[in-house]
Amino acid sequence: MTTSSPEPLLALSGVNTFYGQAQVHFDLSISVGRGHIVCLLGGNASGKSTTMKIILGLVKPRSGDVSFDGASLLGLTTPQVVRRGIASVPEARRLFADMSVRENILMGAFVRNDRDAVAQDLDRMLTLFPRLGQRLSQRAGSLSGGEQQMVAMARALMSRPRMIVMDEPTMGLSPLYVDRVLELIRTINQDGVSVFMVEQNASLALEIAHEAYVLQTGRIVLSGPARALKDDPRVRDAYLGGSEAA
Amino acid sequence: MSSWLDYTINGLIVGNVYALVAVGLALIFGVSRLINFAQGSIYLVGAYIGWVAVVQLHTPLPLTILVVAVAAALVGLIIERFGLRPLQNSVRIAPLLATIGISFVLDQLVMLTFSPNPRALPSQLPDVRFQVGNGTIGPLDLLIAGVGITSALLLFVFLRYSKLGWAVRATAQDRDAAMQMGVDVNRVNQAVFGIAAALGGVSGMLVGMYYNQIDTAMSLQATLKGVVAEVVGGAGNVPGAVIGSLLLGLVESYGVAVFGTSYRNLFAFLLLVVVLVLRPNGLFASARQAPPEPLTGTFIAPSRPVRIPRWALLVAAGGFAILPLFPVSFYVLQTLINAWLLGMLALSLTLVAGTIGQVSLGHAALLAIGAYTSALLSLTLSVPVGLAIIGGGLMSAALGTLLISPSFRLRGHYVSIATLAIGEIVSLVILNWESVTRGPIGISGIPPLSLFGYDLISPTSIYWFSLAVMVVLALLQARLLGSHLGRSFRAIRDDDIAARAYGLSLNRYKSLAFIFGGFAAGVSGGIAAHLYSYINHETFNTQQSILALTVVILGGLGNVVGAIVGSVALVGLPEVFRLAAEYRILIYGIVLLLLVRFRPQGLLGTI
Ligand SMILES: Nc1ncnc2c1ncn2[C@@H]1O[C@H](COP(=O)(O)OP(=O)(O)O)[C@@H](O)[C@H]1O
Ligand SMILES: [Mg+2]
Repeated sequence: MTTSSPEPLLALSGVNTFYGQAQVHFDLSISVGRGHIVCLLGGNASGKSTTMKIILGLVKPRSGDVSFDGASLLGLTTPQVVRRGIASVPEARRLFADMSVRENILMGAFVRNDRDAVAQDLDRMLTLFPRLGQRLSQRAGSLSGGEQQMVAMARALMSRPRMIVMDEPTMGLSPLYVDRVLELIRTINQDGVSVFMVEQNASLALEIAHEAYVLQTGRIVLSGPARALKDDPRVRDAYLGGSEAA
Repeated sequence: MSSWLDYTINGLIVGNVYALVAVGLALIFGVSRLINFAQGSIYLVGAYIGWVAVVQLHTPLPLTILVVAVAAALVGLIIERFGLRPLQNSVRIAPLLATIGISFVLDQLVMLTFSPNPRALPSQLPDVRFQVGNGTIGPLDLLIAGVGITSALLLFVFLRYSKLGWAVRATAQDRDAAMQMGVDVNRVNQAVFGIAAALGGVSGMLVGMYYNQIDTAMSLQATLKGVVAEVVGGAGNVPGAVIGSLLLGLVESYGVAVFGTSYRNLFAFLLLVVVLVLRPNGLFASARQAPPEPLTGTFIAPSRPVRIPRWALLVAAGGFAILPLFPVSFYVLQTLINAWLLGMLALSLTLVAGTIGQVSLGHAALLAIGAYTSALLSLTLSVPVGLAIIGGGLMSAALGTLLISPSFRLRGHYVSIATLAIGEIVSLVILNWESVTRGPIGISGIPPLSLFGYDLISPTSIYWFSLAVMVVLALLQARLLGSHLGRSFRAIRDDDIAARAYGLSLNRYKSLAFIFGGFAAGVSGGIAAHLYSYINHETFNTQQSILALTVVILGGLGNVVGAIVGSVALVGLPEVFRLAAEYRILIYGIVLLLLVRFRPQGLLGTI
């Protein structure tokens, strides 16, 4: 195990997950250190998105534990998990397509009641994502994929989370936006937010991550500091195995 | 003589009333993809609360509206909390069935409390009419328009500017994403049920005042009209529901102007079927928008059916066959004859709803087609009764399949709506096609059952005849289910996309299922016609369709033996406990609710 800080912010330990009869996770253990960017890599259908859903309480594991800041999340509903300080950027962004960009971003602050500070944070988002300024009253569904990703990230930040979980944030984006998104993740992290991200694109993710885990058909087959994994030929092998099994 | 302007005003006012119901349906469909069949019952409750307030408590009008809104909202909250929330993780048909059960229970409670007789509900407004152009408008019209517009404005403000309103909209667009923003979906459900119920209740009260009459038949009509308006406007689309309602009101009003009052509902249901078939997402769905998820996938609770050994079935069949040889009362035989007739209908429905997954809510129409055909064949063409009944079965198979075929492309809840509408259309055509069906008078003097020239008049012979017909139909159906064809039916039910990928033609198989099911139901209706000797357009009504659905869920969807066991249980138990007739429907509703909640696979399990 590789976390450098003594007590991780988020820890999954011994998680086994099933959809009906089919087992998706086998004894999964992952930890995210405070202030770190941790990346979960894996091929198609290896169980990455399900890991996100376990953290958010959208899917419940059959056994094992998920704890955040020392307290278990297992008995909590998704809204309760969000109120503990975890925000999400879901797979395929999942914006509220018929609501405006402004409404989408403000939906991220749904759990907050400090209206003035929320208004300030909205302004802050517009400096962080300048493109969105001209788009505020547009239907979110009418934006390009890259712009939608910006909205999804802004929306997640609006809850002032301690941690953001992101499911394939670069998927389907043009190379220009991919770089921009990775840079933003780094910026967000430097502001003190821990990041847990799921990616298929290993080389990109390992550029910015501190630690990484490689998931293959529901099992962690490799983990360690991102720098060490970057040159590890087994990362590529694991991938090929993973997608073949899918 | 009313002017066109009068018909327009009337259409818009009635449309306003529909809108109050339809907007609630749209809100609920938006956040939970559920068609709330209990909406009309809340409307009924609203009308009766209004009656209590006005007639017994003498409340002034503004207070009456407030009382009705609050009381109806409470009913809505109770339905959401205790009827639907426990079903969140159930199969997808479960909440729909639960709202049907709830609507039966509520309607019957109202009927038991207030008696089924109509009551007057005075509006307390002065009875004057103002001249507008060449039409007139009265204070009640203005009140209804005012309530409609005010509600629309309040709803707009709520959805646009309140935090809960944002949560409602976000949930409607993406439930999971809304939860990830911290939205408590249960609170959103509560909110929409409360609002929908308040609007529905007020609507019922206004309609009662408009016609100065309320009665318990209002409930189903309101649900149907609300559903029509909502689907026409696009399921889940709130502004669409308002426009769909006004359109429906106008279509009905002009239809009445041209063809007469008895055509009012026919236009409503024809509009629904046309929209469902041509534009299932409603008139206003924009092309780029993904259709609201049509609730596909496995519809029934998967389970392992209870295995009943062949000898036990033989013993049971033999026992029932020799029963009349023992000194049993006429009453017991009569009850069992009813059970066998219902059993044939249940066989039909369990095939259509269970085996191939098309949950029909209009199955009584097949009875009606069989009954009318058989009655008319024997009366006007002097066809022997035995042949006439077979003719009824064939006509039901052919006509029923033909009528239902436009909706073969629909899925999930939409199939249920379409079958419900088609059932209503059949009953309305019978009412209006006087030259053939004798219209509202009905057909009397239908000859009694007879076979090869021998009249079957004694209860014993009728008992044996109906038992034998049912057993033959059951054996045929069991053979069918075990065959390759039966497996194809189930493949289509479980995954129609995969089934199509394997090269199965969905339309062909759905037709085959409806042909077989239509025959069984038509034969049942034919026998019933000769048994009753009098039938009219209300003999076979939606209540029977729902009763049949309860029977097949009780027995286990798709389960042949279950359909028969369910029929005997639901017909027999109220008799055993000597329940008064008016409590029966209440019991059926409660049985349906309990089944959906605690044993969705039924007594004998789904197949
Ligand atoms: N709701 C679900 N029901 C049943 N199986 C599912 C469900 N969601 C995902 N799966 C299955 O679980 C496995 C892992 O899925 P997922 O976590 O989405 O993988 P990834 O995100 O790595 O592509 C896949 O085989 C997928 O088909
Ligand atoms: Mg995924």
